[in-house]
Parts: sequence; structure tokens; C-alpha cells
Amino acid sequence: MTTTTPAQTQTTQIYQLFIRATPEQIWEAIVDPAFTVRYFHGARIEVQNGRRQAWGPDGEVWGDEAVLESDPPRRLVHGWSSRYDPELAAECDSRVTWEIEEREPGLCMLTLIHDQLEGAPKTAASVGGPGWMFVLSGLKTLLETGETMATG
Amino acid sequence: MDDNDRVFKALADSTRRLLLDRLFERDGRTLTELCGELEMTRFGVMSHLRVLEEAGLVVARRSGREKHHFLNPMPIRLIHDRWIDKYTEPRAAALAQLKSRLEESA
Repeated sequence: MTTTTPAQTQTTQIYQLFIRATPEQIWEAIVDPAFTVRYFHGARIEVQNGRRQAWGPDGEVWGDEAVLESDPPRRLVHGWSSRYDPELAAECDSRVTWEIEEREPGLCMLTLIHDQLEGAPKTAASVGGPGWMFVLSGLKTLLETGETMATG
Repeated sequence: MDDNDRVFKALADSTRRLLLDRLFERDGRTLTELCGELEMTRFGVMSHLRVLEEAGLVVARRSGREKHHFLNPMPIRLIHDRWIDKYTEPRAAALAQLKSRLEESA
């Protein structure tokens, strides 16, 4: 069996999954802190007034970035600075795009693109490991079953 | 065929796994770049990529005239999450790590 070498730092990362939910439900789960706290590492995330702000469980600031595009319930683009970790926070900002596309009633394809990671190799490695996969898998589980995922 | 069937079928072919390995090493490659590394016709690589795309393991994005291919790890992650929970994960990870360490030093 061949062993795989660790991936090089990817400057664009793409994650795509189907979720049994309406676009509106998925949108709400992305921008409503009551939802995000249940699948996004316990972060309360608010998207309003052109900012995306994230707070950790003790109220510490985990993120505060500009919203670059907002077209509910289809498309959200915002900056990304890893404020939850001082070493990662020192890197350049990158960009996150959420795309929600309804394939049939109640079934959507969610695509997350994290790009412009050229100046943020440590952030790229951090979100590229289990990072986004864990968050997106938890989002899917929460929307489809109403349960918080048992992993993590 | 359900989504998982498509994923397992796509993975049950060594050329397709090789294509995924190439994208894992460096994502966003074009068809021409991928063809350059495989002894296979352009048509052959295209049909394998189509199976991978239909299974959701590869996502293609256009940028200008070029089509770039990205490895989408989510289908494999969702299969992982279905059978491996948070209590099994550390043990499975420790064993996998032990295996690679022993094989590296061998």
C-alpha cells in the first residue's frame, strides 16, 4: 500500500457536499449564532452590517472580517483571519465563499471555497486538515438530524 | 445507485486513485497537467475525471479558458464520520500513525 505524503499548502481549497435542507435553512445555519455555536467549534458567529464576527465560548474574538458579498440564501463571501490563534492571526487575510445551490426541493449542494491563502500557509494547513471537513460535516448532521455531531 | 455507491465505485480503480493522489499533492490542476503525468490518452483521463466528478470526489472550476480540478475530501470524510466516532478516532489515528512510522523506518 502506498503511503501518501502530506499535501503541499494549497492556495485554494474546495469542499462540496449535499445537505437535505432548504437554501434558507442552510443560510440561517451559517449566519445565526444560535446555530453556529452547535457545529463551529462552539463559536458564535454573526453576519450583519457588512461584518462577519466570531466569538469563542468565553467571549474572546475569534474572527472579525468584512463581508465582501451577500446574496441570501445563495452566496456569501467574507474575509478570513484566524484570530483564534495568535500565530495564524499574524498571517495575511484569506477569503471564504459559501455557495448554496438547490438541486431538488429540499436538497442542496453546499460548496465552500477557501482561497487567497498565498500569504497564509499555516492557516491553510490548519483549515485544510480536519478543519473545514469537521465543521461542514457537523453542519450537515445538525441540519439533517437536529443533533450535534458526536465527534470532536 | 446512491451517493456512497458512486464514491466506492469511483475509488475502486487504481488510475482514479492515482488522479486523486496527484490532486492531493497539488490541487487545481488542468486536464493537460494531469495528462502529462499519466501514460494514458487524453480521452481516458477525461472519462476517469468524469467518474470522479460524478461521485463528488473532484470538483471542476472554470477560470477563464482553463478548467481546474480540485480534490473534494467531503465524501470520504462523511464515510469516515459514519463509522468512526469521537471515541474510536484517537485509537484509529494512533494505529495509523504507528503503521506509517514503522513503515518509514523499515
